[in-house]
Amino acid sequence: MSAVETSVKDVASAASRLRRTAWYRQPRFTRLWAMVALGVLLALVTGEQGNTRDIFFSLEGSLTGPNLWVCLALTVGVWALREFASTPIKGAVDQAKAAVGRPGGALRDRLQGDQRLRWGLIGLALVLALVVPSMLSRTWQTVLVDQIAIFALLAIGLNVVIGWAGLLDLGFFAFFAVGAYSTAFWTGRLPVEPPMVLNPFWVIPIAVVTCLVTGLLLGAPTLRLRGDYLAIVTLGFHEIIYLVAKNADGVTGGPQGARLIPDFSFDFAGIEYTWSIKPLPYWYLLVFFIVLVIVLFSRLEHSRVGRAWTAIREDEIAAAANGVDTVRFKLMAFAIGASTSGVAGVIFTSKYGYINPEVFPLLQSILILAYVIFGGMGSIPGVLMGAAALVWLPEALKDYVDASDRYMYLGALLVIMMIYRPQGIWPSRRRQRELKMAEEGLGDADAMSEPAGGKA
Amino acid sequence: MVVGALALTGCGDSGGGDGTVRIAFQGPLSGDNVALGENMQNGVKLAIDQANAKGDLGFELEYVASDDQGLPDKATAAAQKVIDDESVVAVVGPAFSGATNTASPLYAEAGLVTVSPSATNPTLTDPKNNFTSLLRGVPNDSQQGAGMATYYAKKLKAKKVYLIDDKTDYGAGLAGVAEKGLKAAGIEVLRKSVPQKTPDYSATAKDVVNSKSDALIYAGYYQDAAPFAKKLKEAGYKGAAISGDGTNDVKFVELAGDASENWFLTCPCTDATVEAGTKKFSADYQKAFNRAPGTYSAESYDITNMIIEQLRAAKGGVEREPLRDALAKASYKGLTKTFSFDENGEFKGTDVYLYQVKGGKIAYQGNINQLAG
Amino acid sequence: MSLQEFWDYLVLGVMLGSLYAVIAIGYTLVYGVLQLINFAHSEVFMLGAYGSLIVLQLLDPGDNPSALASIGFVALAMAGSALFGGVTAYGLEKVAYRPLRRRGAPRLIFLITAIGASFFLYNLAGKLFGRDPMTLPEMYDNHDVFSVFGAGVNITQVLQFLTAVVMMVGLDLLVNRTKLGKGIRAVAQDAEVASLMGVDIDRVISRTFVIGGVLGGVAGFLFANLNQVSYTMGFIPGITAFAAAVVGGIGNIRGAMAGGVLIGVVETMTVPLLGDEWRSVSAMVVLILVLMFRPMGILGKQVGRAA
Repeated sequence: MSAVETSVKDVASAASRLRRTAWYRQPRFTRLWAMVALGVLLALVTGEQGNTRDIFFSLEGSLTGPNLWVCLALTVGVWALREFASTPIKGAVDQAKAAVGRPGGALRDRLQGDQRLRWGLIGLALVLALVVPSMLSRTWQTVLVDQIAIFALLAIGLNVVIGWAGLLDLGFFAFFAVGAYSTAFWTGRLPVEPPMVLNPFWVIPIAVVTCLVTGLLLGAPTLRLRGDYLAIVTLGFHEIIYLVAKNADGVTGGPQGARLIPDFSFDFAGIEYTWSIKPLPYWYLLVFFIVLVIVLFSRLEHSRVGRAWTAIREDEIAAAANGVDTVRFKLMAFAIGASTSGVAGVIFTSKYGYINPEVFPLLQSILILAYVIFGGMGSIPGVLMGAAALVWLPEALKDYVDASDRYMYLGALLVIMMIYRPQGIWPSRRRQRELKMAEEGLGDADAMSEPAGGKA
Repeated sequence: MVVGALALTGCGDSGGGDGTVRIAFQGPLSGDNVALGENMQNGVKLAIDQANAKGDLGFELEYVASDDQGLPDKATAAAQKVIDDESVVAVVGPAFSGATNTASPLYAEAGLVTVSPSATNPTLTDPKNNFTSLLRGVPNDSQQGAGMATYYAKKLKAKKVYLIDDKTDYGAGLAGVAEKGLKAAGIEVLRKSVPQKTPDYSATAKDVVNSKSDALIYAGYYQDAAPFAKKLKEAGYKGAAISGDGTNDVKFVELAGDASENWFLTCPCTDATVEAGTKKFSADYQKAFNRAPGTYSAESYDITNMIIEQLRAAKGGVEREPLRDALAKASYKGLTKTFSFDENGEFKGTDVYLYQVKGGKIAYQGNINQLAG
Repeated sequence: MSLQEFWDYLVLGVMLGSLYAVIAIGYTLVYGVLQLINFAHSEVFMLGAYGSLIVLQLLDPGDNPSALASIGFVALAMAGSALFGGVTAYGLEKVAYRPLRRRGAPRLIFLITAIGASFFLYNLAGKLFGRDPMTLPEMYDNHDVFSVFGAGVNITQVLQFLTAVVMMVGLDLLVNRTKLGKGIRAVAQDAEVASLMGVDIDRVISRTFVIGGVLGGVAGFLFANLNQVSYTMGFIPGITAFAAAVVGGIGNIRGAMAGGVLIGVVETMTVPLLGDEWRSVSAMVVLILVLMFRPMGILGKQVGRAA
């Protein structure tokens, strides 16, 4: 009897021994190791610049100096706080979140509900957009016009393609190049002569048509591909456009680019005006185009077309089964996005007066996608904010960190943002719901993707 | 008019209220071309530090960096940032021709002088551009390209030349001039383009060998010339090879090793290894930045010193536009060459010198036109 | 182009293609288990190259190492690159992808994370190791050892080709014969069901990343040996290899090999026919053509499920 008891006890203790994990594998300590690793990484990130004479120089500097200990103390401190003082902190954080979130959420709800308030806010934003820039320094005016506004226009265009129709387009910036080179061509600044020389204003409709046609030509054979295949094809398309611009010297000017491209000007009913290198006039022009595009697109979003796009994005097969002509609507989204990109290209080219192929590297297509997701795809205020924030950030970082490290911080920010707030800064309601459903395993967030790797 | 200009630049007092005067550098300090930007930035920094250490200026000189990534679309904001800083009196840069094209109208409007150590595109000094405050502190490539062509035609009596550019502004310009010169001398030219960062140079090297060319011109930078030289050696290429000042750099020899042996290198700079001043510069640079000077370091150093010389002459009373006009007329003998400019801001021509890699060293040969006979 | 020249370029193309194939496998493996374009794989490749550079700088092979020493240096450099590649890929999965996977984030979010991680890693490498290119110290005297159809093959190429073949065969065996391989295939087919059948998904995915990272790292070493090391070296071969993986049929390991070799040959053949500057264009044109006629790539899906 007792022998049986002991043997049972033995088995039980053996089993519990098997179940017990070594102390260093307990969750608390794995978290500690993670924080230590993070501390070391932080020390490397904030350390000195290395050089090729001695590739160990920077490693040595940041792994032996006091910097390492500061970083380790910081991360281990965070760990200790989270492990041993988590309840009070969590309570405080939750309270703070609720305090901030409730009025924010309430405001959002009211915005969505109350039409008058909504229009009032839109009007206010517009007035601010017209007034505030004149109070900025010329540097920030330049950043605002040359980069933020151009990318905002692009982001609105890409939002149609990816946010509404759900097509993963990694070659969006190629159409910007098409618009830019159209401008150079029609103003007579390329090695090939145009049939007639035009004012940049007249190039806009031409560029829209050119980009529409290019978009259709690319889209028609490839849009039956889905998800990642479409991504790689559009990426390849961008690479081809970029390399043709660079290599076809006789047509595009090759690496030397095109210069002396005229500014916008009009001479109508006795009123003459030429946009110059001053940023503000171009700002008003860009605001005009951005507002125009927003108005057009938001009308589309709530029309039959917009609903068809949503259906395609959420489930293409179901949409097709319900009689949505998926190919036609996908092509339409693709071409509309492309022509927006082209318009941005025209304005850019005319503003700068000069282009070369290095303005259109593949990286730009990837970056613009990041802007849209970062802001919150599907929502126009979201993508505007995303483009503004991510274009502004590297310029602002110039004053604080080594110039060459700026994109390292941008990369880190993207990763952190995607982990903690994948829906973006200002997500569209529908998108938020889709993401939530995906998290709960009820459906897919995009037609292009089931959740990756299943659920662990 | 003068009042208007002053109001525009906002530069009435002698460069900022606190008595500091700044010299800016605009070039690629992030992105894909940082190595080149850092070379130039360090040259500028070194010149400024040395001037401050000497202490005979009567005011403190400061360095400001402005990063344009070498890209035309980032250059306007970078330039405007420099212009808005009223204590900046002169700019070294912009480094790249594309960035120079978009930044120069702004600098012209502000009357702020820019002296570029490296933008070689010939169209930059076209008066139609109206880049009134741009001075080119580097010869555009016509002399070098012509020198290469003459040397191949007269001295080496080449029959078929394989001419490669690297698809940059610099490479395309240089190759264009060389091609003209070679064709004028009745030499058969195979003009090819091999873009920077080509992953594998083996096929190109094979193509050179298969073409049975007896001479080769590589118009590009050492970063790409080095792996290419290695593959050429592996493919068994035996003919002559020449490259320009973008490759004339100790790093070319370091990266390519034995494969760089016997390569000809041209440069508008005089013998860089013999002169005492250059040696001292290399040593100081090494000490300050823990690395050897690279392409355009010495040129940037020279240009900064040229600006400092003008500041010294002005005895602290520095304003943007007078400084611009003074620099445009100045002549300055630097380590690398004598700097002076014509009425369009173009660098006044200098002679081109030939070097050859021998025993792991870049050895001075002489004036290329005299050598060609 | 004479027949001899044709063989010359074909051999060069196959050599380059074998390198692309090894990188492409890294993309395909991760795609197989996660349906994710791992944009950061090109940085794994770049850091692998730095791994071998660090090992070689520590060892310092000197001027004329003996044959035996040469083999030792190559092996150690390769080990260094494999270590760096594996560790980077492991860290990437742990830090950037696992939290997303836990909450079932859509793949688009993964894509942006991968882009962010790629930015972070290559700029960090530039900061740590300097931004000028470097070459690997010479480990052996490179010369032709034999010829194929009259086209000379040198030691670097033999090394490249052999390593690629050994790794591909090894990987094929691993995926098709071992327990881990079974796990990988199970996760690729249906992660949820696999987890119900007792497959530890976390572990399988983590190990898949490490395998891909080791392959990518070693490819980085081979590439550095062929060209040079720099912090931006990952981008172009990364995009090309990704295209190769898609051409072969993404998620399909043998497809990645076929696609890699095809793209390598196409790129190399472009040099004498059209010129060096068009090599990427012809690779991309092949990609688009293949996808137009075979939307799932040459060999189609095998490991993964329909996209």
